[in-house]
Amino acid sequence: MRLWRLSHKELKETSRDRRTIITLLMMPLLVYPLLSMAMNRYLLTSDAEAVPYKIGVENEADGRWVQEILQSPDSTPPEEVLKSAGGQMAEFELFNTSDTLDGKPTTVSDSISRGTIDVGIESEGDPKSYRLYAFRGDLRSQNARRIFVERLQWYQLSQLEKAAPQVVAPEFEIVDEGEEQNEPILATIVPLVLVLMTITGAVYPAIDLTAGERERGTMEALMASPVPRFQVLLAKYFAVVVIAMLTAIANLAAMFTTLWLGGLLPLLTGSDVFPWLQVLQILGLLVLFSGFFSAVLLSLTSFARSFKEAQAYLIPVMLLSLAPGMLSLLPGVKLSGPLAVAPLINIVMLAREVLSGTVVPAAATMAVISTIGYAAAALSIAAHLFGSDAVTRTSDQSFASLLKRPKRWTAVPTPQTAAMVLALLVPIYFVCSNVLMKYLSGMRSIMLGSLDDLPLDSAVALQSRSMWLSATTLILVFGLIPLLATWLGRSRLLSTYRLHRPGVLAIVGATIVGLGAWAVAHEAFVIADALGIGGLSEKRIADTRKMLEAWQIIPPWVLLLTLAVTPAVIEELCFRGFLFSAVLRVMSPLRTILLTSFLFGLFHVLTGNALLIERFVPTFLLGLILGVIAYRTGSVIPGMAMHFVHNGLLEMVGHYYKQLEFIGADFDNQTHLPPHWIAIATTIAVAGMAIVWFAGRRRTLLVP
Amino acid sequence: MLTVQSLTKTFSTDDAEVRAVDDLSFQVQPGEVYGLLGPNGAGKTTTLRMVLGLLEPDAGFAEVDGVRTESDPIGVKSRLGFVSASDGVYPWLSVREMLLYFGDLYGVAPSVAAQRCEDLATLMGIEPFLDRRAGTLSTGQRQRVTLVRGLIHDPPVMLLDEPTRGLDVVGVQTIFDYIKHLRDVGKAVIVCTHRLDEAQRLCDRFGLLHRGKLQHAGTMTDLKEATGREHLVEMFVDLMKENA
Repeated sequence: MRLWRLSHKELKETSRDRRTIITLLMMPLLVYPLLSMAMNRYLLTSDAEAVPYKIGVENEADGRWVQEILQSPDSTPPEEVLKSAGGQMAEFELFNTSDTLDGKPTTVSDSISRGTIDVGIESEGDPKSYRLYAFRGDLRSQNARRIFVERLQWYQLSQLEKAAPQVVAPEFEIVDEGEEQNEPILATIVPLVLVLMTITGAVYPAIDLTAGERERGTMEALMASPVPRFQVLLAKYFAVVVIAMLTAIANLAAMFTTLWLGGLLPLLTGSDVFPWLQVLQILGLLVLFSGFFSAVLLSLTSFARSFKEAQAYLIPVMLLSLAPGMLSLLPGVKLSGPLAVAPLINIVMLAREVLSGTVVPAAATMAVISTIGYAAAALSIAAHLFGSDAVTRTSDQSFASLLKRPKRWTAVPTPQTAAMVLALLVPIYFVCSNVLMKYLSGMRSIMLGSLDDLPLDSAVALQSRSMWLSATTLILVFGLIPLLATWLGRSRLLSTYRLHRPGVLAIVGATIVGLGAWAVAHEAFVIADALGIGGLSEKRIADTRKMLEAWQIIPPWVLLLTLAVTPAVIEELCFRGFLFSAVLRVMSPLRTILLTSFLFGLFHVLTGNALLIERFVPTFLLGLILGVIAYRTGSVIPGMAMHFVHNGLLEMVGHYYKQLEFIGADFDNQTHLPPHWIAIATTIAVAGMAIVWFAGRRRTLLVP
Repeated sequence: MLTVQSLTKTFSTDDAEVRAVDDLSFQVQPGEVYGLLGPNGAGKTTTLRMVLGLLEPDAGFAEVDGVRTESDPIGVKSRLGFVSASDGVYPWLSVREMLLYFGDLYGVAPSVAAQRCEDLATLMGIEPFLDRRAGTLSTGQRQRVTLVRGLIHDPPVMLLDEPTRGLDVVGVQTIFDYIKHLRDVGKAVIVCTHRLDEAQRLCDRFGLLHRGKLQHAGTMTDLKEATGREHLVEMFVDLMKENA
C-alpha cells in the first residue's frame, strides 16, 4: 500500500513535468501523421514514372469497361489531389488473361498468383458486379489495385454528379490472392518501434527521478528517511515503467491510426482486418520491454550525479540498443539457444515471433524469465548505487564498489544480493545444463544411435556419467554462486545458510516426512497431469523407462551420492539457506516460503533446452514442505534430511524395482496410487510434520 | 535523547587518509539545543550523516531513544528529523503533497500526517501556499516548508545542518523562532554551524570541533573557564592557531 502511494507520488511528479508531456504526446501527435503523409506521397508517386501496372481481365466486355474508366477524363483525380501526388498519373497496361501467347487461357486469379499481372478484374451477373484481385503482401500489386479503385471512385463520383440517377454504379469487391504471410512487415517493424519508444519514454523520468533528486537537493532528505532504498527505488521503477508504457502506447496508437487512416495497415499486417489480436500481443510485449529498459536505465541514472552525466551515460545505451532492435529485421534469426537468454535480443526476437505467430513456448518462457532476472539485477544495482553517492561528496563510489567487500560483517545477505544471485543463476544454469546436454548427446552419438538403440551397458555408462556431471553442475552453480555472494557481502556463513544445530526430534520428524512426502509429490504430479499442467510425452515416458532400467544396474551408492546427497545439501543450502534468509529480511515467513518454493519449482523446470513443466507442481509442493520445516526449525539441516530421504527413497525404489514388484507396486507415472498407499504415506508425512512442529521451535534469526 | 559514542570516520583518497571525525562523543538531552561548531571541514556534516545513517562509521555509534544506528538504522532514522540549508523541494508537487509524501516515508498514517501538516502550517505560517506548486515558492517560503518537513513525523531529536546559510535577516529570525519552538516542545536539538555569533545566541551547550576532534565542550560558562576567552570567535581563532 505504501509502495503504491510512493509510486503514485513519483508518477504525479514526473507526469506534471512539461518535458514528460512533450515526449509522451508531441512525438506521436506530430511525427506519425507527417511520416504517413510522406509515405503516402511516396507510394502514390514512386512507381508512376516507371513500368506501367499490368491490369488483367478475362473477357472483352470487362476490358472495355476498364478501358472506359481509365481513358475517361472523369476518372482523373481533381488537380489539387494530383498535384499533391506529384502531378503524375500511374499508367496501366491492359491484358486479356484468356488470350495469352502460349494459347493457354487462365483466370485472372491464377495470373495474379503467377505474378503475370498486378491487378485482376473479374465480373459476374447482370447487372454486373466486379471482383478486384491483388496479391496479398505484394506492395506493387496492392498499389496497383488501390490506384485503380481510386480512379474508379472518381469516375463513379463524377457520373453521379452528372445527375444520372438511372445509372446504377456497378458494385465491386476486393479479393486478395496468395497465402497469408507468415511474417507480416508488422512483426519486423514493431520490435524496433518498441525498443525506440520504450527507451524514449523511460529516459526522461529515469533521469528525473534519480539524478534529478540530487539536482533538486531532495536526495539527502529522501535518504535520511526510514525507507529501505530498494523500496524507494521500486516506487520510482513503477513510475518509469508506467510512463514508458504510456509513451509507447501513445506512439503505437498514433502509428496504427495514421496507417489505418492512410489505408496502409493491410501492407503491414498482411490482411484487411484491423489486427486486434496483434494489438493485444503488442501491449503484453510492451510490459516486458518497458520493464526491462526502465530497470536498465534506472541502474545507469542512479549512478549519475547530474542530469548531464546521466544523459552522457544513456546515449551509448540507446545506440547499443538499436543493434538488437535491428536484428528483428534480419530474416532467419530464431529465438533459441543462447539467443533466448541474451539480454534485449531475446525480447526483440520474442516480439517478432509472437507477432508472426511462430513462438516456441520453451524459448519464450526462457526469454521472459531471463529478462525478469536482468531487470531484477539492474534494479538491485540501482538500489546499491542510488543515493549512496549523493550524500557522500567525498567518497568516490564507482562500479568497482559493487565488488568491494563491506567492512562490517552482516548476519544475512541483502535481498539485493539475493536478486543478483538469482539473475546470475538463470543464465549460468541455462548455459551449463545446455552444455551438459550437448556433451551427453554428443557422447550418445559417438556410441551410435539414440538412447533406445544403445546396448544396456553403454546406456548405463552414459547414465552414470550424466549423473556425476549433473551433480558437479549443481555444486558449481547452486553451491558456488551463492557462496561467492556470501563472501563478497561479508555475510556470516552460519546465519546466511541457517546452519544452526537443530534438535534431534526435528531431524527425526523431517526424516519421517521424507518417508511419506513422495506420495504427495506423486499425486500432485498425476493431478497436475490430469489438469493439463505439464504431463509427459510418449518419448519422455520411454526415456524414463530406459533410465529406470539403467538405475537398476548403477551401484546404489552412486545413485544416492549424485541424486540424493548432492541435491539435498546444495539445494537446501541455496533455497532454504541463502535465499530464505535473504528474503526473510523483507518478507513475511509465509511469503518467503511461497517465493522460495516457487523459485525451487522454477529451477526444476528449467533443465537444458527443454522445459520440464511437469516437474513444477510436485517440486513446488515439496518446496512448501521444506520451507515450513526450515522456518519452523530455524535450520537448514532437518530439510536436508527430509530432502535426502525423499530423493533416496525414489532412487532405491527405482533400483530395487524388480524386487518390489511382489508387493504389487505399480510405478506408472500417470496413474493414481492405490488409496491405502496414499492413506499410509500421507499419515506418515503428517505425523512427521507434527513432530517437526512440536519439536520445540528454534527462533529464526531475524536481522534487519 | 541522543548519545554519540566514539564516532570515527576516515575517508581515503588515492594518496592519503583523512580522518574526518575522530573518536567523537557527546550527549544531547530533551529540550536542549546543542551547537556542534567548527570551521568548514571540521567534520560537522560527516558527524550528522553518520547519525542519520547516510554514512557508515568506521567505529562508534549513535543512539537515539535507546535505539542504536548499528543494530536498527531504520529505527534510528524514524526518530530523527533533519533539516539542511541545501534542502530542495519537488517543484511539480504542491507543498501539501510533498509534506504528506514525507509523512508517508516516515510511516505516519495519512490522516495523522494531514492533521500535522495543517497544525505545522499554521505554526510556521505556510498555510496560504499549502496547495501551491513547490516550484513557485520564494527562497524564504521554501525554507519554511523544509522546516515543516523535518517535523512532519514529530521526531524526538532534530538535526539542523547550517540552517541559516544563505538566508536574509528575516530568514535567520525564522530559524531562531523555530529552534526556540523545538526547545519548548522538548526536542533534543543539534545545530551544526560555523556562524559562531548565531550559535552563541541559540545554543545551551557547545561542542567545538576542529579537524574531526572535539576540542572543548560544555556550556558557555564552561568554555569561558577552559579557554579564558569571552567569545566563541576568539576561542576558535586560538584553536586554529594551536593546530596550525
